[in-house]
Amino acid sequence: MKHRIDEAGVWNNNHIIEIVNLFKVYRGGVDVKALDNINLVIEEGEFLAIVGPSGSGKSTLLNMIGLLDTPTSGKILLKGIDITQISADERARLRNRELGFVFQYHHLLPEFTALENVMMPMLIAGVKKEEARATALQFLEDVGLGDRINSRPNQLSGGQNQRVAVARALANHPSVVIGDELTGNLDTKTSDLIYDLLRKLNKKINQTFILVTHDTELAEKTDRILRIVDGKLVCEMRREGDRFVSTEVCQTAEAE
Amino acid sequence: MARKHMVSNPKMVLFTVMSVALAVAVIVLMMGLMEGYRGEIIKSTVENNPHIIISSKENEDYISLYRTLSSTVWDYPDVQAVSPRLLGKAGAKYKDEVRGVSFVGADPAQEDPLMHVQEDVVEGDYLDLVFKKHSAILGTKLAEELEVKPGDDFYLIRMNRSLKLEVVGLIQTGTGSDESLVYLPLEAAQDLMDQGDVVSQVGVRLGDIYAAPSITDDLNARTSYDVKSWQDQSRDTLELLDTQKAIMYIFYFLVFVIAGFGVANAMIMIVSRRTKEIGILMAMGTTGRSIVQIFLTESVIQAPPAALLGCLMAYIVARLIEAYPIEMPSDIYMVSRMTVTLTQEVFVYAVGFAILVNLAAGVYPAYKASRLDPVAAIATE
Ligand SMILES: Nc1ncnc2c1ncn2[C@@H]1O[C@H](COP(=O)(O)OP(=O)(O)OP(=O)(O)O)[C@@H](O)[C@H]1O
Ligand SMILES: [Mg+2]
Repeated sequence: MKHRIDEAGVWNNNHIIEIVNLFKVYRGGVDVKALDNINLVIEEGEFLAIVGPSGSGKSTLLNMIGLLDTPTSGKILLKGIDITQISADERARLRNRELGFVFQYHHLLPEFTALENVMMPMLIAGVKKEEARATALQFLEDVGLGDRINSRPNQLSGGQNQRVAVARALANHPSVVIGDELTGNLDTKTSDLIYDLLRKLNKKINQTFILVTHDTELAEKTDRILRIVDGKLVCEMRREGDRFVSTEVCQTAEAE
Repeated sequence: MARKHMVSNPKMVLFTVMSVALAVAVIVLMMGLMEGYRGEIIKSTVENNPHIIISSKENEDYISLYRTLSSTVWDYPDVQAVSPRLLGKAGAKYKDEVRGVSFVGADPAQEDPLMHVQEDVVEGDYLDLVFKKHSAILGTKLAEELEVKPGDDFYLIRMNRSLKLEVVGLIQTGTGSDESLVYLPLEAAQDLMDQGDVVSQVGVRLGDIYAAPSITDDLNARTSYDVKSWQDQSRDTLELLDTQKAIMYIFYFLVFVIAGFGVANAMIMIVSRRTKEIGILMAMGTTGRSIVQIFLTESVIQAPPAALLGCLMAYIVARLIEAYPIEMPSDIYMVSRMTVTLTQEVFVYAVGFAILVNLAAGVYPAYKASRLDPVAAIATE
């Protein structure tokens, strides 16, 4: 198991992510409470899904966890480090080393080939070019794009780009991989291929996966499902063997 | 870090490079012109004036031991000419015309190597000064105004003395002195001044003009005469040029600012076009510092080609100015044509200038880029 203890030696439980009283309010003409008092503990090696209706705050939550956005109030601990308190450089470093992000839209760099896009996080991390290339090739192979490594995003289909984005998110072997609708554009077969890949990594190197999805089939393959409605965590289900067990919160919410 | 250039818009790059190149060209040319002008002034100073002038001691009006002094000066190495000269102001009268003149009385054989007088004589014969005691060579413009021609006799009048002199030649130096200059043999001038066998100065010409200050210092230390090098004489002019330099610096600065705004504008456009990609890079963990670095590099990378292009343009224009000389009124500028001297230094400045422009202009856009909000940046289309 890697990264059990951070440099400061503080992090020593299994909670890779802890979210405490998290609020996010978008202030505009009207205030939008995108996240409303979220409390959540995610353990290392979890494979979880976040579901919820459109506009419920799923992407907002992922942006928070992915260190792309800052909360209005509340705390997020990543491996015990309060990421709302650290410097911009440190945030950048964590984004690069600890997090892999697959966006709702692929967001690849348009002027770079698939291979270069996948190499990018490793090059930013200072990995040697040859090594980065080899790793990138392997991951592209794994997502089924071994034959398209030199194509640019505009030469690839939506689903292919999404797979490149998955490969890119995995490239640096981050502790946490965050996926926003990462199988949205994929057919069942490719979707299964990606799921199998993620699951394999999850088992093999205990990587943590947080996937936002509208795909119930995919959600039901994970170990834990969180349901967000109107910025609130309303329901949580955990896998027990082949079935999911709802928490009490969930039942009251469903009863309403 | 291996990253492709964020700028892949050749048209825009061309425009920013051109704007900096033009600025570089203008500045190189201006520097070249200033340098050329400076050079011309020095040249005309050392051509038209003795390189060292030895004047009388303090409290004395004239030098009487000028022969001893001359031989002392001849002992220095690389001395090409030493000429004792008696200078003064007088009136020149021919028929009804009277003009104020500055006369130079000197031994023609010694004066010629000092001032290269013979080269400038356009009419008549310089050597007649040697053979005729009461003869004179006049500046062309002066002769024109007095309406005298070679062969005519005119009068040189000073206080209550007057001297009848024959015009044996006309001299054209191309400077303002053409309007007032009269050359005459030393004895004739001494007659006019009525001070006995004296001179007012001893002029020296050197093979190496830059040896003048040390010889001057040495003479000042060894004798009690007042000795001045050509640098001392042209100091005022060169100082004037230096004050003009301050104005030039303001001008350079303005050109710098204008070019800088051009580059900054282009850089800001690039940043706004690349907003989404900057956001993606940030999401992958690129630090703000690296983003600044990327954009500064983008900007500075354009400097060398801009400098090269600018220098090339300046060089071409300089050659054109050389090929098609531009005449200038010599009485205002002291030199009669525009010259451009492009020293290597100027080109070094140009490269430095271009780098500085691009660096300065890149700072703000690069900083802006590094401060983008990644979520918003990624959301832009
Ligand atoms: N930058 C923003 N400014 C203002 N409001 C925003 C902003 N981003 C998101 N919101 C609002 O916050 C709420 C949550 O948005 P979010 O994108 O997290 O939803 P989502 O659950 O990801 O939806 P979807 O499933 O459609 O992607 C929405 O009401 C949205 O309009
Ligand atoms: Mg979303």
